[in-house]
Amino acid sequence: MSEQQVPQPAAKSAEPAATAPAPSRLREAGVAAGMYLGCIAAALLISAVIVWLTGGSWQAVFSALLDGSLRAPGRWGETIGIAIPLVVVALGTAINGRAGVVNIGQEGQLMMGTAFATYVGVRMGGPGPVVIVCLLIVGALAGAMWAGIASWLLYWRRVPEVLTTLLLITVASQISGYALKVDWLLLAPFREDRSVRNQVSDQLAGDTRLPRIDIWGNDFPISAIAVVLMAVIVFLLFKRSVWGFRMRMLGRNARTAQRAGVSTVKYGTNAMLISGACAGLAGALMLSGGDFGNYRFTPGFANNIGWEGLLVALVARSHPVGIVIVAFSFAGLRAGSGFLAATGVEREISQVVLALLVLALLVPPAILFIRERRRALSATRDRT
Amino acid sequence: MADQRTAGTDVPAVRLTSISKSFGAIVACDQVDLALHRGRIHGLLGENGAGKSTLMKVLIGLVLPDRGTIEVDGERCQIRDPHDAAGRGIAMVHQHFSLVEPLTVWENVMLGDTGRFDATAARRRVAEISEHYGLGVDADAKVGDLSAGVRQRVEIIKCLRRDPSILIFDEPTSVLTPGESERLFDVLRLAVRDENRAVALVSHKLDEILHATDEVTIMRAGAVVRRMETADADAPMLARAMVGREVSLRSEASALGLIETVAASAGEDEDAHHSETGGVADSGTRVPALRLRDIVARGLDGRVSLDGLSVDVFDSEIVGVAGVEGNGQSALTDLLSSLMGVDAGTVEVDGVAVQPGRPGAMSGAGVAVIPEDRHASGCVLDMTVAENLFLVDIERISTHGIYDPAVMRQDATRLIEDFEIQTAGPDAPFWSLSGGNQQRVVLARELSYSPKVLVAAQPTRGLDVGAIEWMTDRLRQVADSGVGVLLISSELEEILQLSDRVVVLFRGRIIGEMDRADVDLEELGLLLGGAGAEAAA
Repeated sequence: MSEQQVPQPAAKSAEPAATAPAPSRLREAGVAAGMYLGCIAAALLISAVIVWLTGGSWQAVFSALLDGSLRAPGRWGETIGIAIPLVVVALGTAINGRAGVVNIGQEGQLMMGTAFATYVGVRMGGPGPVVIVCLLIVGALAGAMWAGIASWLLYWRRVPEVLTTLLLITVASQISGYALKVDWLLLAPFREDRSVRNQVSDQLAGDTRLPRIDIWGNDFPISAIAVVLMAVIVFLLFKRSVWGFRMRMLGRNARTAQRAGVSTVKYGTNAMLISGACAGLAGALMLSGGDFGNYRFTPGFANNIGWEGLLVALVARSHPVGIVIVAFSFAGLRAGSGFLAATGVEREISQVVLALLVLALLVPPAILFIRERRRALSATRDRT
Repeated sequence: MADQRTAGTDVPAVRLTSISKSFGAIVACDQVDLALHRGRIHGLLGENGAGKSTLMKVLIGLVLPDRGTIEVDGERCQIRDPHDAAGRGIAMVHQHFSLVEPLTVWENVMLGDTGRFDATAARRRVAEISEHYGLGVDADAKVGDLSAGVRQRVEIIKCLRRDPSILIFDEPTSVLTPGESERLFDVLRLAVRDENRAVALVSHKLDEILHATDEVTIMRAGAVVRRMETADADAPMLARAMVGREVSLRSEASALGLIETVAASAGEDEDAHHSETGGVADSGTRVPALRLRDIVARGLDGRVSLDGLSVDVFDSEIVGVAGVEGNGQSALTDLLSSLMGVDAGTVEVDGVAVQPGRPGAMSGAGVAVIPEDRHASGCVLDMTVAENLFLVDIERISTHGIYDPAVMRQDATRLIEDFEIQTAGPDAPFWSLSGGNQQRVVLARELSYSPKVLVAAQPTRGLDVGAIEWMTDRLRQVADSGVGVLLISSELEEILQLSDRVVVLFRGRIIGEMDRADVDLEELGLLLGGAGAEAAA
């Protein structure tokens, strides 16, 4: 390179404004909150108009949503039950996102986790608590294994992990579907409770189910508490651990990280394995918790929880505390949507309403992200 | 030949008179005169930073001069932008290509055209030009599949398509193999001799100036120092003119009696360690802080970037690696940043072998690095200033893998004060800092883990004058404190000013080594241009 490089930046940095003021955190938070409120209000307004135009009662729709998620007896317990796997999947996603590795195959990892956990839960025998612990561990390991395939292909042959994690969902779905067809794997033995030869596993025995907590008629599995603890731990790992620090370094600048001793392969693989383990664990928790599939594994068991968990992590911008809040909101929408059918509003319309609300939660983080990028970019452009 | 001569002595194709241009406090061009004649290749020789490129950018309309006049074919005019320049028949082949890789050659050539265009005609035109000049470029080839040499020929076609009367080449051979350079000069000859165009060849390579040009203008520090017919020049003469200089205020060059021609004006304030450090002489007995032996390494593209490089750095000394850029400097930095493995050779720090390419191996062994491009491997823009101060050795403030952000902030605040870093605070994002302050953060961090060796790659590039001075002083302090410093720089001035020992890097190996006190500028200039490479090989 030659001389043109030297003078121009020198001239730039000679300007008096050498240091850009760091934006105040409080103000940023205020702006973000305002954006969320605005977007949700807009979504509600548009929803109301759509429902009204199609001849429905928007009051009834919103009231049903609220009833289904919180107000009706026992409903917020249900919401918590749905939120549990969402939080676990999202925490895993936050970890791999931090390390700059992409995992969008949580749905498949969750299926594999559930399938293996089912096998252990149904076949192992022995004292209940031991079985529970084992099925959770095996579920997590199975999820990690499934994500590990993608990770291995990535570092062995540079196969993009976006593709492999995504495509492995289909493979996982086929494998677990097959396992549910043969009785030496997961298919329940023919008994009176399995009248037709459909694909369904045996039910977990009573002592291998997670205990449930009951508060004022709202009941949810005790894993809820564990999950909140997990969020706190991840939060601390992100904030205070050398490991979290290095993960972030890797995600933000892999070359700097490598120079500072962070091996891309090692840390990247770890991130992917943990992310997969979380998805697998989420599946095992769903199975043993009872809010999904009545303690049985079926082909439709995952029910998009893996995808929704990914979405939760994106909306919460990988912040562990945010994940708990967002997961609860998404779970609320899921629980509430069950009550929409009773309002007489057509299914298509109620789906639009739900989608609008999800969209309202997605727009602010996207705007914030783009703004941050722009600012960082313009700063670098000025200064290189 | 005859008509060429007459053309040459007539009105020049372009005449620049008293061109001055400064960027802030830096004067890039100071009252420069230059005339390009038809039918002649005019060499423009000078070090990095001598003002060659700025001058050419004035000609092409990328830079507006502060003062001075431009005449094209005897007619005074202003060149406002490259379009304007193209309209007057001036075209430039830039050092860095601007080609779109997924597109084909002819598509690249047509880029920027407006209105209707005829693909068949465009293809035919590209083929014609290629044929006429013997460029051997396939109009339908995808640019992404082509080698650097062929890409340059595509750039040349882009220029020639408009049939310019004045062609400018900016460091054209920096990416070429010797064979490709030879072909390029053949093309130049053809364009000049048979078509009576004027060509300006910007270079800092002596041999190609001697080989390819008819006349040569030598620039130094923004001014023309010499102008002559190439036939009357020889390599030592050009080298002296290129690197020889007036007394530089901050350089001890004169104090050490280096430059014979200078007036005895500079003081006798040379640093104590200069005379103490024996350099090469006693290297047999001491263990070097850093020892590289016969390093052979390849870049990502498979080309050999380091080819048998060996160098020692002892504690308390500054070893300057001089050399024209692109001769392995960035590979050397990458190697010492644990970013690159080697095919052969060893790296030892304080007598202990270090495995190249293993993440963190070099920094772990005590090799600190101020990288050439700090944004690529020296910092994380999205992290805070405090975090950037602890990227390498977060362990220092952590127990059992847990660190306390409050302690980090505290330590960072101390470093911010010690290194006079201008920032809103330890929690400010790193990207909010100016270039000079970012560089201070990098230096502060690299010194904070008590390194044995500090590798400084182009440490002052892109900094303003004050920041350069600060960085220079710090580097000297670092060496005085006992650290071995490897200074990799393409600024010869910087090398001469700081180093105790100078080595010359050429095509991935060290082809010359001399004590600072023994530096002969003429010889150094020759080495920089690669003369003597065969002898060393």
